[in-house]
Amino acid sequence: MSSNQQILVEGFSTALAIPQEQVTDDLAYNSIPQWDSIAHMTLVAELESRFDVMMDTDDIIDMSSVARARDILGKYGVTFD
Amino acid sequence: MGRVVKAPVTLNGYQVTLRDIVREDLEMIRRWRNDPATSQYMLSQDAISPGQQQAWFEHIQWDPGQRHWLILYRDKPIGVANIRVFDEGETLERPTRVEPALYIADLRYRGNILAFAPTLVVNDYCFEQLGARELQATVKVSNEAALRYNEKLGYREIERQGDLVRIALSPRDYEASAAPIKAFLSRAGRR
Repeated sequence: MSSNQQILVEGFSTALAIPQEQVTDDLAYNSIPQWDSIAHMTLVAELESRFDVMMDTDDIIDMSSVARARDILGKYGVTFD
Repeated sequence: MGRVVKAPVTLNGYQVTLRDIVREDLEMIRRWRNDPATSQYMLSQDAISPGQQQAWFEHIQWDPGQRHWLILYRDKPIGVANIRVFDEGETLERPTRVEPALYIADLRYRGNILAFAPTLVVNDYCFEQLGARELQATVKVSNEAALRYNEKLGYREIERQGDLVRIALSPRDYEASAAPIKAFLSRAGRR
């Protein structure tokens, strides 16, 4: 995995308090109890801190899965191999 | 008969618009409300007939103690919000306590951070424009998501009876709790 992919996985794992193995591309918002609207704010803050970006509200709302998070971070200049 | 239809109130903020429900919305709202995915969280699971929906609509047009809005996000309807006075004899002209409620019918946004947006708009309106001193709500004990959601907004439990819990929100607790949520929903958009 590229370093940014690992950072992404670690970010999700930390923010949602789930094992890294559970952080797959299809892990989606509200699909697990740990990822609800409240945890979503913690997740956004965690990813913004790790990648040094500040997402706009549209992207915060649209960040509905791990795969989508990667796409959105790409718009802010974060590259994933 | 002397019943006056209330002037419309449209609220905008935090990416959503709330506008008064109109006749053309009724069938869509009735379908939403009768959908088990929504009704399971309501205090009553009784199905609403078209006639009951129409009668309800005729009533809320003039009732000075309640108001009902359609929630729009990106110009699309996603749910319903409402407020009603808590204390008998009062109106929304100058309420002491207000009981807000909402549901998000669009499953893409239920449980999404966006679901906080209409609540923030309504709560701001109740405290800042109506001058309410407190907001109260009744939630099913089994509705853990709603209890967590409201706790995040600063609500405190005041009473528990059977399978229902009553919660209350003061302006001070709301201001402190809502600030970080408002920050997330107030960033500049790309559109």
